[in-house]
Amino acid sequence: MKAVIIGAGLGGLLTGAKLSKAGYDVEIFERLPFIGGRFTNLEYKGFKLSTGALHMIPHGSRGPLSQLLREVGAKVTIIDSNPMAIIKKEDESNIEFHDFKKGLSITKQVKLGTILAYSLKFKPKSDISFRDWILKFFNDEFLLRLADSYCGWSLSLAAKDVPAHEVLEIIDNMYRYKGPGIPAGGCGAVTESLSDVIKSNGGKINTKTCIDRIIIDDGMAKGVSANGKVIDADIVISDVGHPETSRMYECRDGKYLEFIKNTRPSRGIKICLSSREPLIGHSGVLFTPYAERINGINEVTNADPSLAPPGKHLVMSHQTVLSDDLAHEIALGLGDLKKLFPDKEYEVLLIQSYSGGWPVNRVSSGSDIGYRTPVHNLYIVGDGAKGRGGIEVEGVALGVRNVMKEIGAS
Amino acid sequence: MKVSEKCVGCCQCAVYCPHDAITVFGRASMNENCVECGICIEYCPVSAISEDE
Repeated sequence: MKAVIIGAGLGGLLTGAKLSKAGYDVEIFERLPFIGGRFTNLEYKGFKLSTGALHMIPHGSRGPLSQLLREVGAKVTIIDSNPMAIIKKEDESNIEFHDFKKGLSITKQVKLGTILAYSLKFKPKSDISFRDWILKFFNDEFLLRLADSYCGWSLSLAAKDVPAHEVLEIIDNMYRYKGPGIPAGGCGAVTESLSDVIKSNGGKINTKTCIDRIIIDDGMAKGVSANGKVIDADIVISDVGHPETSRMYECRDGKYLEFIKNTRPSRGIKICLSSREPLIGHSGVLFTPYAERINGINEVTNADPSLAPPGKHLVMSHQTVLSDDLAHEIALGLGDLKKLFPDKEYEVLLIQSYSGGWPVNRVSSGSDIGYRTPVHNLYIVGDGAKGRGGIEVEGVALGVRNVMKEIGAS
Repeated sequence: MKVSEKCVGCCQCAVYCPHDAITVFGRASMNENCVECGICIEYCPVSAISEDE
């Protein structure tokens, strides 16, 4: 069985590793000169920055991605963050994420505990937003700010733009799989090790190769045309999202095209800092609910010092984009950093923004339409088709697992 | 080089530029160091860079 995979991002590489291990003849085509998409390293001034992700795996060594990596034999060490996350409060004090209720009155703490326990079991069926859902029970500024910080960090969305059932699903997964971890060597170590697995299983990865079109005959994908050459395939899997994939063949399914039109990518800004002294001092997430724009920050060199030159730390902040004025959004982010670390010396290495065709997530949580397409043997993987409740790359892993199950290669 | 409105500001062009000719603040722009080598075109994930006509 020949499988053609379009795109060598994390989703494409995970799929390639799974299928090549299951005995498929795998060939991957990537338009860019490098593999890994938004989940690989970007070497800059001696730092291992990244093309996208913040060198963090949301559920660390116990999560769905880690599990999938182990299954295919990818050699990656994931260093679990300890503490998992810290919240910076309005008075600048830091509390552990698990203690977030402690700032509230005893009555509110009890009420929140009960509501959360009930709602995790019986998730709201409506599409009520996470913000409105909180407001149903509490009008508490700290909780609302924490919700924005949490949704911003994990989904690059404001709490008013995510359905409550999706966030509750994520909280559920957080209890199930626990907190984040940092892959030793950065996210590039993950994608490179997957590439090794694919090659050792006889698979092939072509870079700088454009897919001109997907060849469809009688509702079935028969192969692709890549840089003008026809490659036959029994199955085609695309890691470039529904909209871009649908433009690679003549798609006439009006209902599907309408669905695609309603999916929205999520936007974000990452600011990379270099510092001699640690700014955070631990390997977990620092949630910053009282910053104007920044949702959270990590300092990955506390887990893996090799991500920066000797004697330096690598610190990365993430923020959702709330207006169309990107320069203004970035300026607010830089202002937040100044306020968060007033007495510290640091250098801004790079300011990276993500939207449109190179977003944080190709499909925002809550508007995901799944992995199927109108073509029977053409599937979508990657952040354009994640599993339910899966944050970032954990969602990519869950999505790949769903496709593997469907085609009987799990 | 020309940068179109498709640019998202991801910085890949700036990092791979061998001449330190690109600055990015929400969007890429080339400075006088640019020698039109075209490496940035290859590394742009959204095909936002093209040669001047």
